[in-house]
Amino acid sequence: MATIKLTNVKKVYEKNAKPAVQDFNLEIKDKEFVVFVGPSGCGKSTTLRMVAGLEEISGGTIEIDGVVVNDLQPKDRDIAMVFQNYALYPHLTVFENMAFPLRLKKVPQDEVYKRVTNAAEILGITEYLTRRPRALSGGQRQRVAIGRAMVRESKVFLMDEPLSNLDAKLRNQMRAEIILLRKKIDSTFIYVTHDQTEAMTLGDRIVIMKDGFIQQVGTPNEVFEWPDNLFVAEFIGAPKMNTFKSELIREGDNYYVMAFGVKMPVDGIKAQKLYEKDVQSQEIILGVRPEHIDLTNRNNPNSIVCTVLVNEMMGSEIHLHVVTESGEELIVRVPTVDISVEQRSALVTGTKVLITFRGKVMHFFDPVTEENLLTREDLYSEVMGEEANEEVVSE
Amino acid sequence: MKQLDTLSYLKLSKIQKIGYKLASFFCAIPKWFVGLFLKLWGFIKAIGLKIADTCVDIVKTFKNGSWKTRVSFLVMGFGSVMFGQWLRGLLFFAFEVVFIIYMIFAGAHWLSQLGTLGTKLPTTEDVYNPVFDDTVETTIPGDSSFKILLYSLLTIFFIIAFIYTWRVNIKQCRINEEILASGRKVKSTKEDMKAVLDDQFHKTLLSLPLIGILVFTVMPIIFMILVAFTNYDASHPGNGYANLFTWVGFENFNLLLDFGGGKTFAFGEILAWTLIWAFFATFTNYFLGMFVAMMINKKGIRLKKVWRTILVITIAIPQFISLLYVSNLFADNGVVNGILLKLNIIDKEHIIHFWGETGQNPWLPRMMVILINIWVGIPYLMLITTGILMNIPQDLYEQSRIDGANAWQQYTKITLPYMLFVTGPYLLTSFVGNINNFNIIYLLTGGGPDNPKLIVDGTIAGDTDLLITWLFDLTTGASANYKLSSVIGILIFLVVAIISLVVYNILPSNRREGDFS
Amino acid sequence: MMNEYKGQDILEFNYLSEEERHDVIDLMPPADYCAQEQVTAESVKESATAVEFKPAKRHMGQKIKNRISNTIIYVVLCLMSIIWLIPFVCILLESFRVESTSQVGYIIPKEWGFDNYINLFTKTKFLRWMGNTFFLGLAVSVLQTAFVLSMSYVLSRFKFRGRKSLMNLMLILGMFPGFLTLILIYNLLNGWGMTGENSVFGLILVYVASSGMGYYVSKGFFDTISKSLDEAARIDGATRFQIFYKIIMPLAKPIVIYTILTAFMAPWGDFVMAKYIAHNSSAGFNVAVGLQNLIATEESKATNYTMFCAGGVVVAVPITVLFMLLQKYYVAGVTGGAVKG
Repeated sequence: MATIKLTNVKKVYEKNAKPAVQDFNLEIKDKEFVVFVGPSGCGKSTTLRMVAGLEEISGGTIEIDGVVVNDLQPKDRDIAMVFQNYALYPHLTVFENMAFPLRLKKVPQDEVYKRVTNAAEILGITEYLTRRPRALSGGQRQRVAIGRAMVRESKVFLMDEPLSNLDAKLRNQMRAEIILLRKKIDSTFIYVTHDQTEAMTLGDRIVIMKDGFIQQVGTPNEVFEWPDNLFVAEFIGAPKMNTFKSELIREGDNYYVMAFGVKMPVDGIKAQKLYEKDVQSQEIILGVRPEHIDLTNRNNPNSIVCTVLVNEMMGSEIHLHVVTESGEELIVRVPTVDISVEQRSALVTGTKVLITFRGKVMHFFDPVTEENLLTREDLYSEVMGEEANEEVVSE
Repeated sequence: MKQLDTLSYLKLSKIQKIGYKLASFFCAIPKWFVGLFLKLWGFIKAIGLKIADTCVDIVKTFKNGSWKTRVSFLVMGFGSVMFGQWLRGLLFFAFEVVFIIYMIFAGAHWLSQLGTLGTKLPTTEDVYNPVFDDTVETTIPGDSSFKILLYSLLTIFFIIAFIYTWRVNIKQCRINEEILASGRKVKSTKEDMKAVLDDQFHKTLLSLPLIGILVFTVMPIIFMILVAFTNYDASHPGNGYANLFTWVGFENFNLLLDFGGGKTFAFGEILAWTLIWAFFATFTNYFLGMFVAMMINKKGIRLKKVWRTILVITIAIPQFISLLYVSNLFADNGVVNGILLKLNIIDKEHIIHFWGETGQNPWLPRMMVILINIWVGIPYLMLITTGILMNIPQDLYEQSRIDGANAWQQYTKITLPYMLFVTGPYLLTSFVGNINNFNIIYLLTGGGPDNPKLIVDGTIAGDTDLLITWLFDLTTGASANYKLSSVIGILIFLVVAIISLVVYNILPSNRREGDFS
Repeated sequence: MMNEYKGQDILEFNYLSEEERHDVIDLMPPADYCAQEQVTAESVKESATAVEFKPAKRHMGQKIKNRISNTIIYVVLCLMSIIWLIPFVCILLESFRVESTSQVGYIIPKEWGFDNYINLFTKTKFLRWMGNTFFLGLAVSVLQTAFVLSMSYVLSRFKFRGRKSLMNLMLILGMFPGFLTLILIYNLLNGWGMTGENSVFGLILVYVASSGMGYYVSKGFFDTISKSLDEAARIDGATRFQIFYKIIMPLAKPIVIYTILTAFMAPWGDFVMAKYIAHNSSAGFNVAVGLQNLIATEESKATNYTMFCAGGVVVAVPITVLFMLLQKYYVAGVTGGAVKG
């Protein structure tokens, strides 16, 4: 029951300084889980804090359920928030911490007891209710913080990097729990993180930000498969996409890219779309994901000679850092099941290998604007059919 | 001077590095002063621009405002009441009424006399007195320069406050109109009252402390700065019953600093001793306190708590007791001289004047106050440094031991840089505090022994007098010399401000934050 | 269509066969590289064994050295303890001296008795002075704590226009010597009838009024309390006032106690202001002025010196006990203040 609409939201901290956030337009549907992701200083937390009412809004409007909340105090916005450092009140027990918002609202004791114990049970922290935050581990504290937000039963649930203070193992566990928890909590979520894995696994939609601007909004699949620009392409996906200067060559109806002296054909839907858009030969930045580079043999005419720099054995896969003869470093992701143990051990520093790119899944970026030559809409209409096409037009 | 890049700097030898640093420090001074003046100029310019902006805004508000706003230009608070904020409006209006009444009945009178600080001397007249049922010779008080100066100052404060409030009143009208124009609601009186504990809570909390500071610090300081330009002293008390005092320009500064006078430069000598004292008092305490803390902290030393407690007792006991007593211990007929006599180390004709005698070497009493100050100061420094010493990351020491450092190297390469880094600002405040360290000197020597060479305007200062104790004597002594004490006060301020500015700018803590964390 | 696209991608995922792969990897025997590594590993082992012997040798010398330095430290600490305690032992001893009330050249009384204490309470207004000071201490500690905490809380937590200028202004005001304004403040208080006998009220005003300027230490403490606590509380629905007394105050207990303690102790030692404002009216003295007045001149010193010592003991004992009880808070405050600057 809570939609959030941000229109032209802008944040300026100091006069004449560069805005921390600008031109922020986003509509969040009821019960949607939206993740703001981006490198530090991109304005994601600032935006979240403006929604919460902790930062003043310098320009534009924020609406919750159709009501402009710009002038409202945080307490009047019906929101709950989980902080990065948990922000538990050290002098209160876990129970009192969770009951604090209810006490301020003068909720009767019975109701307080019911709601707090209920939330504690869901989160599995019942046995810690009489302890103080100091006596809890990081994961338990995080649960209490979530519990404190849960008992308020508010329309909007904000989370500001809630997992970044946990160690890697705990983070994975809590991430899974948040996915489960989400089904139990009936609200709209905004989740801020700098970690693209968290963003991809949690979000219904992801908002990728950089330098105060939205770079792309879309589902995890969309932003992964059809990045709008070079930044999104490099930011989403691990290990990150290989990008380098290249040349797009058109020969009649066929397209090729020049990569390290080798002319590789572009095929599949991408080639078709390039043709439809009538793209001519030009300089580009070529993007190839590590998983779309294969080791190949001499019989393959489109092979590039590289030298292995580092072999990172991850278990299920090998991240192979290789360097081309022109000195470009690339990462190749080799699934472990695909090559034998002998081969794996042969892939040591200095080994020469041959690689090739898959022609269907390359990304072409304009070297100046860094925009993707094939916009999401170009591919969207093809994939989603007529329906999507209409949506795009109406937008 | 040529700036070296990192690599060529690293190539220098140790001595060259020190030389380079010194040279670049001194070369930076002129630039630094230029920067300071530019900053000041920028500040003044910003204020000027702000005033101009405000004026433009006021004119615009009048031009574009509705009649409600325009009436507010004359009747303060009118607009607020009309916009539904009756509480604000009434307060504005009440303030205006009070201000006008005050100006008519008092303010104007005082201000008109500010230029002369009063002209009417007290007179003696025969006045009929109902108690004696006869005419009695009575003194009719004349003008009181003191009151004129004080009340004029208050009136000026009041006028500034009025102008500010008037401006706020108009701005509020403009903001309200803007809010109404954008279709939102203005804050109601009820919301205003709620905000006192919420949104505007900081104003609520600040109001009393700031009023206190304004009345008991800002106003008095401005008053005393003004006094420095008058001839206010015991012979010109200006209280309505004796001589008036009046403006004399920079004469007092001339008297004290003695431009080209050729007499003993009393101020310079006292300033020099003050700085010497502050230097020694600060650094002897600092290093000895740190040393004691390190001794107590050393691994393997038992009864740590006992040693600390013994020292801490000195802090707990009020200084006037311990210092007055110690002062008497070392007095001419005190216990120390008594014991020395008994042990036949000295004889009756040659007792040691620990606190000095007029005409004797001034350095014995000066040494004594520094020594006693160490006695007073070490416990504080021990407490402070203990905490910080324990915060030094132990792995630094472990690393240095693996690298082969001995205890002394550990001290100079790890402990000392860390301490200086962390306590840099504290050292500065404590240096300034020692410039104004009244208690020690006053309770131990009272500034004595008098030195007839240190004479200004008929008053004599002592060998151990700091500027602050001298100021105190001039304020409270038999021949109160308020004008001179005001000048000294201003000069102390200048000295402290300059030292603070310079040190603050070279302190590492302000530049390399987080080096040690 | 989407499925098809994806499907194609996955279908294409046919990796090279085993034999083929053996062909493509041009093996480059990294012989010299490996050899180098082995050498370094060995050398590390060697150096490790070499190091092992050294500490053992050092250890013996270290132990003896340590013992010597510890002994020296104990001697120094003992000497220091004596120097630091002697004045207090002396004052205690002298306060029991009966045979002479003036200064003498020895410490241990020839005749012991409580005469000085009895005289102190009967012949001087000492009780009144104690009362004055106690009242002063209570009033000042309550009001000053309120002022200081308000100021430091606001400066630590609120971002309002003019905050920086306000802090700079207070810094600049603090550079003026305090006694500069003595004469004006005396005249002001005199005008309001708060000097002489009523100087207690005048003193309360003077101590409290400008106390807001001493906000540094507690602001430093407030700054260490995470700001996200305030934010969490605001979202939980607390007003600023509720945050202040429900969240911040309980967490700031050490600094509250430190502020109260220092505020309470200040009037017991203050002397200059008190003397100036009391202005020879002994009913308005605090203990410091009163006791100092006992030995202000050489003549009065001859008759009152031991009484002064007794007075000093009476004042020092309760203050010291109080201080020792709350020592831990004082240390925390002082250390924090020094680090924050």
